[in-house]
Parts: sequence; structure tokens; C-alpha cells
Amino acid sequence: MITSPPKHIVVSILGIVALCIGSALVASALGSASERILTVFFISLIAVVGMGVYSGNSGILSFGHLSFMGIGAYASALLTLPVQMKVATLPKLPEWLAGTETGLLTAVAVAIVFTSFVALIIGLALNRLEGSAATIATLGLLIIVHGITIGWRDVTRGSQSFFGVPRDTTLWSAAIFCILALIVARLYRDSVSGLRLRAGRENAIAASAVGVHIRRERLIAWVLSAAIMALSGALMAHFLGAFSPKKFYFTDTFLLLAMLIVGGMTTVTGAVTGALTITIVTEVLRRFEGGFSVAGMEIPAVFGTTQIGIGLIILFAMFRKPEGLAGLKELEERFLSGHSIKSKTRDTHVSVAAADPTPLTGDNLTMRFGGLVAVNDVSIEVKPGEIVGLIGPNGSGKTTLLNMLSGVLTPTDGSVQRGDMVLTNAAPHDVANHGIARTFQNIRLFNELTVYQNVLTAALSTLDGKRATERCEAAIVAMGVAQFAENDANTLSYGDQRRVEIARALACEPSLVFLDEPAAGMNREETDDLMKTLQNLTGELGLGVLIVDHDLKLINQLCDRIIVLNEGMLIAQGTPAEIRKNPAVIEAYLGHS
Amino acid sequence: MELFLQQTANALALGGTYALLALGLAVVFSIMGLINFAHGELMTIAGYVLMYCGIASVPFVIAVPLAITASVLAAVAMERIAFRPVRNGSGATMLVTSFAVAMILQVLFQNLISARSQPVLLPALLSDSVRVFGLVIGVNKLAAIASTIVMLVFLDWFMKHQKTGVAMRAAAEDFAVARLMGIRANTVIAGAFALSGLLAGVAAVLWVSQRASVDPLMGFMPVLKAFIAAILGGLGSLRGAVAGGFLLGFIEIYLAAFLPPEMQEFRDPIGLGIVVLVLLIRPNGLIPSATLKAEKV
Repeated sequence: MITSPPKHIVVSILGIVALCIGSALVASALGSASERILTVFFISLIAVVGMGVYSGNSGILSFGHLSFMGIGAYASALLTLPVQMKVATLPKLPEWLAGTETGLLTAVAVAIVFTSFVALIIGLALNRLEGSAATIATLGLLIIVHGITIGWRDVTRGSQSFFGVPRDTTLWSAAIFCILALIVARLYRDSVSGLRLRAGRENAIAASAVGVHIRRERLIAWVLSAAIMALSGALMAHFLGAFSPKKFYFTDTFLLLAMLIVGGMTTVTGAVTGALTITIVTEVLRRFEGGFSVAGMEIPAVFGTTQIGIGLIILFAMFRKPEGLAGLKELEERFLSGHSIKSKTRDTHVSVAAADPTPLTGDNLTMRFGGLVAVNDVSIEVKPGEIVGLIGPNGSGKTTLLNMLSGVLTPTDGSVQRGDMVLTNAAPHDVANHGIARTFQNIRLFNELTVYQNVLTAALSTLDGKRATERCEAAIVAMGVAQFAENDANTLSYGDQRRVEIARALACEPSLVFLDEPAAGMNREETDDLMKTLQNLTGELGLGVLIVDHDLKLINQLCDRIIVLNEGMLIAQGTPAEIRKNPAVIEAYLGHS
Repeated sequence: MELFLQQTANALALGGTYALLALGLAVVFSIMGLINFAHGELMTIAGYVLMYCGIASVPFVIAVPLAITASVLAAVAMERIAFRPVRNGSGATMLVTSFAVAMILQVLFQNLISARSQPVLLPALLSDSVRVFGLVIGVNKLAAIASTIVMLVFLDWFMKHQKTGVAMRAAAEDFAVARLMGIRANTVIAGAFALSGLLAGVAAVLWVSQRASVDPLMGFMPVLKAFIAAILGGLGSLRGAVAGGFLLGFIEIYLAAFLPPEMQEFRDPIGLGIVVLVLLIRPNGLIPSATLKAEKV
């Protein structure tokens, strides 16, 4: 399913097709030299968008993707290599492989399937690492695959050239595969999986809290990107006819990464821009590399002019435009309007998933960080339909308690249950699927996504994505942020960002919502507004709310029941009136009199 | 048994060099989140200084501090010119900047010095060997082990008792708060780079004294290994970097010594495969960085 407006996708596909076919027509008119340059460009561009599918959407830079290109190249070449050639150059090849000879299309298909399978296994291991550690691990992947390719002489001819591959890649086949790869990459970016992955890139903790299983989405993108790399590798092998493991090692990794990063890795527009820029610069500089004369002066040959040129472009791009020349938006996203809330949906109401009346209970919860006991043996129950306030001085363990209840932290001791369902060790995305949603003390929105996409991600990732659009729009309307639907989340004011965060939580159609300091930074008027909204939600829909705030007026007016923590321990609970008179609470807040 | 002990000495020497490089990477990473690809070029610069000193017949005892100084200055200059403009960028932005710097420096070495490997004149003493507890060990290996120990002791003292060192540890915990406490960002970052340059310089001297040659890509492979050592130990953790460096040294040397000849070609993949296994069991490394858990939700 595609999450962006259909017109974006249509315009973008038309653009891709027009660009590829147009440039291929021009090149074939200009002659074989330009045809070769353009074919290499198409093949490189396939690889660049392939890297972008993973790195751009997940935010994890990968140095290892050229290994998949290599695997694709060798796998496909082993299939298309003529039988006599195999007998002559690879005598120790297993019999079933030595006797096979297929056409390019079959070989490409087999190479893609095989590479995807390899990538799946590697991805399962890689997925355990985060951020920079994952990036360096991909460096390791490149070295491992390179080492195996060189060592496995019987199949790959080791570090020697693997030659005799039929040169079947033509300008037009490259162009058509390039169109396909670009469209797949563009569609993935705005698919449900792509949107979830991008949300995870923007804020991993918040994404899990709205039901996104980030590692699963990363794995999908990883395998898909490996498949695209395999396609590029297979085409490259059948373009060159002869290649060695060096072709799929550091030099080309840096070249392709430079294209991806200079253009901007989060968009297909960026991949195209980067590949174009670097290709043009390389072609121009290559002419100077052998030395030339200007006005009678002989400029000597400078070895590596192209590398210096690429290096300087990268530096320039990073200093001036760290997100890449194309920025963070696709071209069509800049010119066409995005999602807007139609007026007819403005009347719809937020509903609650089957108003599940089961209470959430936390029994004897304890959380230790090293020697510090942040929460000490606290038991708590929250029922749908009631508003519970959680108060206490700074450092009393309120947020830690919320984190344990929502699966962000696993308690050192004690258990969290909803009915018969034990949620003690559940991951945040599982908790979100049990009707529990939350907001954060420090606002955690998906900054580079629009408000609509922020909320839609939550709707798509809970309740199996049923009625997602409807839930998303209803939540946006309920929190009164419909006029910002098309804006990027980080452009909103503080109070509006808080509202979007609550809308995002409501889009999960939870029966329980945890709000961590929702009124922090809001003025009295905004707070009153928020209070009214919250009262409506619980009154009409039977939603349960657990709210942490320092605004005691808000808590007193809003809550049916208040729980007070101090130094990690539960010191009192009861109605607002009872709490106000409780001596232990007064002491905790004001000290001994 | 004797072969085993012999190889253990070799592993200590190689692992020590990896540990110093990984430490240099970790000092910078822990403070500003930069994975510095150009760290290897600092090594290469120190290597070339040793080479030129050899040609100019400068005594080795003077050449070594000169080489290390060059590496420190180059590290500080690198930070000032290339990394300061992207200091607030994402990890990927800084990483890419560093690889552009590395690429440019490599091409410069190729053009200004030589694309080919150049011999480095070393004192004859280094290629001698001595008998220690019945083992024949090269002086260069002993020197490497001794220098590693001296550097680690120095670093430990520096981080615990020197004002800049303590400031660096504070900045690694929480840079924003450290700045609010009056720690100057520029000083701390420049200090971190100087320290990483120092470590790279020492590592370069050790590396060159085992090989007696230097080429434009000299620093690339050892630093790649140091990256792997750094995640093996736990990215951003200084103790982890040391542990990871030594473990990687041991894995490589033992594989080279004890793997059957027909498997030797697969030495690198197998070695990295072992690293992957360790990481599957401990995804955050041997000694994870303390700041990993500290993120406030």
C-alpha cells in the first residue's frame, strides 16, 4: 500500500520514465561513446538507489552494499558463461553449474533471488547492531565477502579476472532496468514499510511506542536494497564482460556512496542528482587527468584528479548542504500539495477499539539503574474510563514508571499485566498493539515527516492498519491540528507539537493513554483547552488516561484519582481531595514544617 | 607450546597497535560522534616523517618525537579545517566528510611523495632479537609491547588526573551539560584530536618499525581493523577499545599461525566471522559505553 497521495507517485513515475528514455534517445543519437557513458550511469544509478533504499530510509549508512553487487555479478555471470568457457577456465566447478548456460534475464532473476537470500541471513545478524556500530559492521561485511570471493578460486577464479561473460547489457536494457529500480525505490519510500522505517529513522523510541517494529522494517529494506544491488551487479558484469573482486571493493564503494550522499540519501531525487553530478564531474576531470596545455603552458598529468575532485565536492556538499543537494524532499513533494483533511471528515470522531475495559496493572514494580533505585516496589492500576494523575517531586520516578508500563524499560522486579496478558518483557511496539499509547516528556515527533505522516504512521502500525486513514484523520481533527496536516512536524510551535504527539497516540485507537507532562510549556489558555479535550475523550469514549504533570491545578481538576510518588516509592493515592490533605504528600512537596 | 608463547608475544605487539588506534578513534567518537576515516592518514603522515628523517640521517631518537608531533599537529589541523564546519551535523555527515579528507590526503601523498612503497631507514637494533625466558623475541615486538603499556598508563593517568582529561570524560558523558559547566567545546575537541593524533603517531612508529616501509595507503588497513576493534570492544568506550584491539590482534595472529595452510586464504573472513559471533552474543561490545543506557525518555 502506498501512503502518499497518488498524484505524487504518478508524477514521479512519469518523470523517471521520461528522464531515462529521453536521455537514452539522446545518447544513442550521439554515438557509441556517449552510449557507454550513459549505460554505466544507469547501472551506477541502480546501485545508488539500491543503497538509498536501505541507508536513506533507515538512516544507517552502509559500506557493505557493494558485496551484494559483487554477489549478483558473480552469480549471474556463472549462469551465462558459455559451457566451453567454464570447462576451460573453471575446471573445478560443480557439475550442475558447469553444465548450465542461461540467458541474461534468467541469470538476473536467479542472481537477485540468491542475493536476497544471502542478504536475509546477513541482515538477521546485522540487525542486532545499532547506528554507527551497524555502519562499521557493514565495512566488515565488505571485507568478508571480498575475502571469500578471492579465496573461493574454484568458482570465482580468485583475484584474477573473471572473463568471457557475454556482453549482453545494452543501453536500452540498462535503461529499462534503471526505470524499474527507480520506481521500486520510489514506491518503497512511500510504502507502509518505508514510512514506518523513516519514522524509526527520525525517532526510534517514539516509532516503537506507536507500534513500529523497526528491526522488521529494516530487514525488509535491507533485503530489497540487496536485490537492487544484485540487479546492478548482474548488469555491470554483462556490460564489462570481464571483472575481478576489486571492482566490488572500496574504490567503487566510495564512488557510489559519494553519489548517494552528495545528492541526498533520503530521496530518489537525491540519488539521481548525486549520480548525475558526480558522473559529470568525473567525466570532465578525467579529460584533464592525463595532463593538458593551457595557453602554451603544459599542465603535467596529475594522478587521481578525479578522486580529489570528488573529495572536494563531498566536502563542499557536507559544509554547505549536509542533507545533500536535493535536500530531504522528493521533487514532486515540493511542488504538489500533500495530504489535506477534507472538510467532510472534520465531523468524524475518534473512537476506541472495542472499548476494551480490562485494566492495566503493574505489580510490585522496581527499577534499578546501577546502585540507584528509581522506582521501588510500586503497584499501580489504570482502568479505561478514568483519569489517573501521577505526581511527585522531580526525580521521584514518574517517568520511569511510565516507561516500565509502556515497555520502554523492562522492570528489574515486578510484573506488568493487562488481564491475562503479561506485558512485563513486551517490546514497546507490542505494548502499543495492546491498546496502550503514550506521549513523551521531551517531545518526540518524526521531525522531517509531515504532521499527517506522523499520525498516519501510528494508525498504520496498530490494529493491523485497519481503517488507518480514517483513524488518522479523526485524531488530527480531534486535537485541532488539521490546518498543519501538510507541514513538517519540526516547523510547528511547541504547544502544537504537543498536540500532534497526543493525536499520534490517539490514532492508535488506544483504550489507555499515558501522557508525560502534556501541559509543560503551555500557557494557561492552552492548558485549559487541552483539559477540555481530554475530558471529552474520557467522557465520551471511555478512554483511560494516566497523566504526569507538574501543573497541580490541571491534575486536581482533571483527575478522578491521584497517585503520588516520592523517592521511587508510592506514598499516597486517592481522590484529589484526599491527596490535598494527606500529610505525607504535603511533607514530600514542602518538607518538614 | 613454545610456538604458542612466541605467537602470543606477536599477538600482544599487533593487538597493542590496534588498541592504540582504536583508542584514538574512541576518544574522538565518544565526544563528538565522529567516526574518523582519516585517522589512518595521520599514521601515514607520521610514517613519511620517519622516512624523510631517515633520508636526512636524523637520529631515530629525534625522528620518533618529530613523527609523533607531526601526527598530533595534523590531527589538530584536520579538526580545525575539515571537521569544525560539520561538528553539529549527523554522524553520517561527519563520517562522509572524514572519508573525503582521507581520499584527498591519499591522492596528495601519491602525487607529492610517491605512489609506490618507500623504504624507511631504521636503527639496526630494532631488527635484532633477544632471548626472554627462552623465547626469541624481536626487539621491535618488545618495543611495541612496552610502548603500548606506557601509552595506556599515560592515558589512564591523563584521563583521571589531568584537567583536560577529566573535561573530556565529562564531555563524553554529556557534551551539552559539560559545556554548561564551563568546559570549552573547542578546547575539549581539539584536545581529543591531539590525543588521537598522539596515539596514531605512536601506532605509526610501531607499525613502521615492523615493516620498514611506508606507502600512501599505509594507514588504511590498520585503521579499518581498529574500527572493527572499536565496535568489538563497544563503540565509544575507551576500555572497550583496548580490549577489542587486543582481542582482534590475538584472533589474527593465532589464525595466521594455527589455521591449516589450505584455509589461510580465508583468514580475514574467518577472523571477522569470529568478531561477528562475539557481537551476536554481545551486540554492544565487550565493554559497552556507559552513555548507551543514559538516554532520557
